[in-house]
Amino acid sequence: MPKWFKRERKEEKREEEGGVKKEVKEAVKGVFYGMASHGMVRYMLKTRMYLEHLFMLITLGDMLGFPILPPYYSLKLLPYAIPHIKTWKRSLFRERDVTDLLY
Amino acid sequence: MPKSLKEFFDASPELRIVVYAGKGGLGKTTASAATAYWFSKRGKKPLCFSTDPQASLSDIFERDIFGKGVIEVAPSLYVVEIDADKRIAEFQEEVRAKIRELYKIEKIPDEIDEYIRTAAAEPAMHESATYDAMAELLAKGEYDIYIFDMPPFGHGVRMISMAQILDAWIDKMEETRRKAAEYEEAVARLKGLSAKTEDEVLVELREIRRKLDFFRESLTNPKTCAFFMVIIPEKMAILDTERALEMFDKLGIKLSGIIVNQIYPPSLLENPNISTFLKNRIEMQQKYMKVIWEKFEEYIRALVPMFDREPKGLDMIAKVAEHMFERPWEVDVI
Repeated sequence: MPKWFKRERKEEKREEEGGVKKEVKEAVKGVFYGMASHGMVRYMLKTRMYLEHLFMLITLGDMLGFPILPPYYSLKLLPYAIPHIKTWKRSLFRERDVTDLLY
Repeated sequence: MPKSLKEFFDASPELRIVVYAGKGGLGKTTASAATAYWFSKRGKKPLCFSTDPQASLSDIFERDIFGKGVIEVAPSLYVVEIDADKRIAEFQEEVRAKIRELYKIEKIPDEIDEYIRTAAAEPAMHESATYDAMAELLAKGEYDIYIFDMPPFGHGVRMISMAQILDAWIDKMEETRRKAAEYEEAVARLKGLSAKTEDEVLVELREIRRKLDFFRESLTNPKTCAFFMVIIPEKMAILDTERALEMFDKLGIKLSGIIVNQIYPPSLLENPNISTFLKNRIEMQQKYMKVIWEKFEEYIRALVPMFDREPKGLDMIAKVAEHMFERPWEVDVI
């Protein structure tokens, strides 16, 4: 076997080892994240969503029939709100029941 | 005698804004045009701005200036009459352009476009667009003195209270945005991602607030802004002025003066052949003049007679200015 071939094989192996290590590290990180902070993160994201929806209601409320802010200023803020409009309307018009409390 | 209009202006060298308010049809636009004329004759560069959708400055200067931008109608006398509809259409287009640019799309989604169209149809939109135009001109500061001809009461001054309310609103909105941003940052940190960039909405909100604050401060500072009311010697006008004084008080603004317009010269009574119609009218006016003097003496800045013609064209405006500024206490037509 030529020398250069052996050397290359060795390098390949090292790389493989590094990949596994990284994966393990990510997995462990994921487990810890899930145990320690996932619930918190979810709660925070939910609160953030509520705040976003509240803001949308104040600024673009007249879309649904709540005229709160003069339309001139609503229109100024409209471009930024576009990506959230669909989810906002859906969450506002969604029927609510007991299972909402669980999630 | 109270301070005359000329004495008032001479005593307020820092004045930059003059606002004429009052009921419709009593001569606000005429007074505004005459004031602008007078300032231009004194070597100043005035801008007369009409917020009235009925385009009366065009009538007074006998030129079509409606929606045509700033126009010099006489040497160093500048006039602008805002076409609110046109401004709104431009504003709608700006919003659409921004959406296209932000999301790299060609066609605005129907639902959004419909909202843009309906929002622009609201009556409040006209007012906001006009005030925005006013604030823009003020912020540029290209003129020595700005004379605003406000539409009939109510809205003219309501603008200031609206600015106050909006200010409180924007406070609240900023708060929710800030809280939302805090949550987002915390989430990013917990997930091990880098924190997000600045909230563009917050930037826009601050810009709106900055504009409103500038506008409100310009209008409520008694050193730089004077509010005048134009009235006529009739009961309705007196009642209206009393209400207006209360309103000014609530908003923390001081009324700078009252101009009494359309007074029939009492010297006409000396003519033995005067018609009963005219005689009754003059006597009625004189009765209310007494009430006006009793109630608002400290505010009266000029008396302007009723002319035998409509005050139209530069010659007539010059005549009105002469009465308002040079002979404020005489009502015999020159």
